[in-house]
Amino acid sequence: MKTIYRIFGILLVAGAAVGAQIQAPGAAPENGAGLGPMVAGTDFSGSWRPQQLVLESQTAAGDLADFGGIPLNDAARIYALSWPASRQTVKQHQCMGYVTPYFWYAPANYRIWEERDPFTQRLVSWRFYGQIAQGDRTVYMDGRPHPPAYAPHTFEGFSTGEYQGNTLTVTTTHLKRGWIKANGVPQSDAATVVEHYVRHGDTITMLAVIDDPVYLTEPLSKASMLVRMSRDPDAWLYPCDDSEQIFGRKSDVVPNHLFGQNPYSREYADRRKMPLLAALGGRETMYPELANAVRDTAAAENQAKARMMPSGPAAVSHAPDPTPKDGEIHAMRVSGDVYLLAGDGANIAVQVGPQGALMVDTGTGKLADKVVAAIAKLSAKPIQFIVNTTYRPDHTGGNAKLRTAGADPSLTGTFFSMQFQGAGSAATIISQLNTQTHMMEQKLAAPPSDTFIEDRRRKYYNGEAVEVFPMPNATTDGDSVVHFRRADVIVAGDIFTTTEYPHIDTKLGGSVQGEIDALNFILDRTVYVHDEDGGTMIIPGHGRITDEWEVAEYRDMLVIIRDRV
Amino acid sequence: MKRMAIAILTLAAAIEVFGQVRGGAPGAGAPAIPAGGAAQRGGPPAGGGLPGAGGGQRGGPAGGGPAGGGPPGGGAPGGALGGGRGGGARGGKAGAPFDMTGYWVSVVGEDWRWRAFPTRGDYGAVPLNQAARRIADAWDPDKDAAAGEACKAFAAPSVMRVPGRLHITWQDEQTLKIETDAGKQTRVFYFANLPENKTEDYQGSSKAEWDLGNAGAGGLFFGGGGAASAPSGSLKVITTRMKSGYATRNGVPFSNTATLTEYYDLVKEKNGVEYLILTSSLDDPTYMSQPMWTATHFKKQADATGFIPVGCDGK
Repeated sequence: MKTIYRIFGILLVAGAAVGAQIQAPGAAPENGAGLGPMVAGTDFSGSWRPQQLVLESQTAAGDLADFGGIPLNDAARIYALSWPASRQTVKQHQCMGYVTPYFWYAPANYRIWEERDPFTQRLVSWRFYGQIAQGDRTVYMDGRPHPPAYAPHTFEGFSTGEYQGNTLTVTTTHLKRGWIKANGVPQSDAATVVEHYVRHGDTITMLAVIDDPVYLTEPLSKASMLVRMSRDPDAWLYPCDDSEQIFGRKSDVVPNHLFGQNPYSREYADRRKMPLLAALGGRETMYPELANAVRDTAAAENQAKARMMPSGPAAVSHAPDPTPKDGEIHAMRVSGDVYLLAGDGANIAVQVGPQGALMVDTGTGKLADKVVAAIAKLSAKPIQFIVNTTYRPDHTGGNAKLRTAGADPSLTGTFFSMQFQGAGSAATIISQLNTQTHMMEQKLAAPPSDTFIEDRRRKYYNGEAVEVFPMPNATTDGDSVVHFRRADVIVAGDIFTTTEYPHIDTKLGGSVQGEIDALNFILDRTVYVHDEDGGTMIIPGHGRITDEWEVAEYRDMLVIIRDRV
Repeated sequence: MKRMAIAILTLAAAIEVFGQVRGGAPGAGAPAIPAGGAAQRGGPPAGGGLPGAGGGQRGGPAGGGPAGGGPPGGGAPGGALGGGRGGGARGGKAGAPFDMTGYWVSVVGEDWRWRAFPTRGDYGAVPLNQAARRIADAWDPDKDAAAGEACKAFAAPSVMRVPGRLHITWQDEQTLKIETDAGKQTRVFYFANLPENKTEDYQGSSKAEWDLGNAGAGGLFFGGGGAASAPSGSLKVITTRMKSGYATRNGVPFSNTATLTEYYDLVKEKNGVEYLILTSSLDDPTYMSQPMWTATHFKKQADATGFIPVGCDGK
C-alpha cells in the first residue's frame, strides 16, 4: 500500500510541475482573481477551422462596398466608402491584427485549449489561438475584473467568460479599432463583444453580438461555425513584417477616397443584381423588412445616393474619455519604471528610480497634492525633473506645487544655484523655449526654467536614456514628445489624444502638416511586438495608453481630413 | 490493504456504471432516436448520474462512439453534428430546459448575400457535386412557380434561412410546432413517435429530443464536487423523409435521401435580449460531397409584430 501512495504522490507532484511549466505567463491567478469553476462544462479543446460558408461570406474576401446585413451608421458607411484596398500598403496597416469576432473568420487554423491552476485544477482561462496574425486570446474564467478604461487596448482585447449551461459566454472589452468586415467597415475601440459558444460534436457554433456605440445603430449579431480537425494541421505561425510597398512614397500619404468619389461603390451591387441601398447596409438590411425597403427601386436608388455623402450637421465625436473623475489619482505601470497618473486633467507620466522622479506634465493642479502622494508611493526620492510637453494649463497647472514638492540636487552648489527661484531646492522644469514663452505671456504659474530650441534635450536618468524632442508647428510651436528609451514609452502630449481631434492653434504656430509630421516622427520611433500590438507604448495627452496602431490611425485621420479640405 | 483498495476501486466503477445506466448514455454522441419516445429515455430530470456527479464528462466520446466517459481532454467526436457531451436526453414540454415558444425574427447578420439576394450560380461554399451543380445552374424560380413547385425553396433545409419570422408553439405535450411567415410553412417536431404513413413533403418528418449537455455523467474517481451546472441543453431535431427540394434559395438541390440534423440553442444577453441559435447539417449522399453546415440565428420578439404569412408564391 505504501508503494501505491508513493506512486500517487509522484504522479501528483509531477502533474503539478508539468502544469506549472506549461501555464502561460499571463494565466496565473492574480490578485483580485477568484477561483475558476471546478466543473468547466463543455470542452472546446482541439484544432479547428472555420466552416467554409463563413470564409466565403465574412472574411477579407468580402467585396468592396458590400455592407449588407450590418447595422452601420452614417459615420461607419462614410468611413468604409472612403477606404480603398490600397490603404493596406501603408506600413502600419500591413500587419494589423484581427479583433474579435473577426478573429474567427480568417482562412486559417485555430487551436483552443484550457489553462488550469496546477494546485486546484480549477479552470483559470480558455485560450484561443488563431494562425492569421497569430492572435492569442485569453478568456479568464476566474472572475477577475476587466482593466480600467485607461488601460491599453489590443486586437485580442480583454476577455472574461462564464458558463451558462452548455454555453460559454465570453465578454470582450479593450479592443483596438479593427474590422467588422475587412472591406473598410470599422469596429471601434469602444466596442464590446459578447460571444456565445456552443459545441455540437465536431462543430462549434458561435453567436457574436457586437455593441459598438461609435459605428453601429444597434448591436450586430451574427452566427458562425468552426469545424474540428481530426489532425493537427501543423501550420500555426504568421510572420509579418511591414515594409515599403510603394517606393518613394512619403509618409504623409494615406490612400483614401474623397466623399462620393469611390469608383467601386456600385460594383458589388451591380454585379450581384441587388439594389445599391441594400449593399450599403444599415439596420433595415438585417431584417426581413429589407424586401419592402427596396421595392420602390427609384426611391431606393435616391436613398442610396444620399447615403454616400455626409448629411446633416457634423457628428460629435463619440470617443469616450477614460480619465477617472472620482477625485483620485490612479497610477498604472506602463512599462519599465514609467507610470501613468490619470485623474487630474491631462495625462501625467512619471519615471522613478534610484536618482529620483522625472515627470512629464503636471495636470490641472487641482489634485496636485494627490499627485505628489501618488509619486511618493512609487519612489521615496524627490521629483527632480518635470518636462512640459505644451504650455496648456491642463498640462502645466500642477507645475507650481509639484516643483516645490521636489528638489534638483544636481543644481545645489553649482553656478546655477542662484540663477533662478528654487534652483536646487525645487524640481527643474524643462520645455521647448516657446512653451516657456507662452506660459509667461499668459501669466501661467511656474513656467519652465530650463529650455531648449531646436535640438533634442537628453538625459540619462535612473539608468535610462530619456530624450525630449521639440515638435515644431504641431499643435503649437512649442510642443515636445518624450521618449523613455529603456522602457520604450513615448509621452506624446497633445500631439496625440484618444479622445478628440487635436487642438491646432495656428496663432501660436500650430499647423495640420506640422501635426502630421509630429505623428510620423513618433511612428518612426515605434516598434510593435507582433502585428501592431504592444512594443513601444504611447501615453497620449488625453485618453488611454496606446501603442503605435492608434497613433497611425490618428495620423491617417488627419491626413484624410487634410486631403478633403 | 490491497484488497481494500481493490474493493474501493470496484465500488467506484460500479457507481459510475450505475449512474450511466440511470442517466441514459453519458458521452453517447448522436444517440439513436429511441423508438419508444421520451417515456423510454429514462433518467431523472437532471439527466442522470448520481447527486453531485456533474463533472468529469468533458471530452467524452461522441458521434456514435461507445457510451461511457471517455478520456478527458477532448475525444475525437465522430459524426458531423454528433453529440459530444455526456448528457442524457428527455422529451417533450415537461423536459424542456428552455422555453423557445413565441415569435422570433431572423437576423440576417451572416451569409447575407445568399439569404437576402440569391442569384443563380452563386452557390458559394455549398459542397454540391456535379449533378447538383447542373440543377442549380438551371434554376428558374418562374418555372418552379409555373409548375406549382415554388415551395421547393421553402423546404426544411432552407426555410429557416429565409429572412422572415417564426411562431413557435407547443402543439401538445410532445409536439413542438414552428410556423414560418415566409412561405407559410409549418414544421412539426415530434418528441414521441413519428406519425406513421406520412408521405414525403418539403418539411419531412422531424424527430426531436432534448440533448441535455452538462447534466449527469461523472468521471472516474468520483466526478463532480464543483458548482453544479444549471439545467441546460439543446433541442436536437433529425428530419428525414423530405421531398426533394432546394437546400438554398437559389436552387441548390437536396434529394429525398437527405437527412437534416439541427440543434437549437437559446442564449440570453444581460440586457434581456434572447437569441435562438440554429446549427444545422444537411447530409445528402445524392447531391453533396460532404455535409452542408450552416449557422443561423433569430431574435426573440415581444409579440407577433411583423409576422405576416406570405405563401411561397409571394402571395
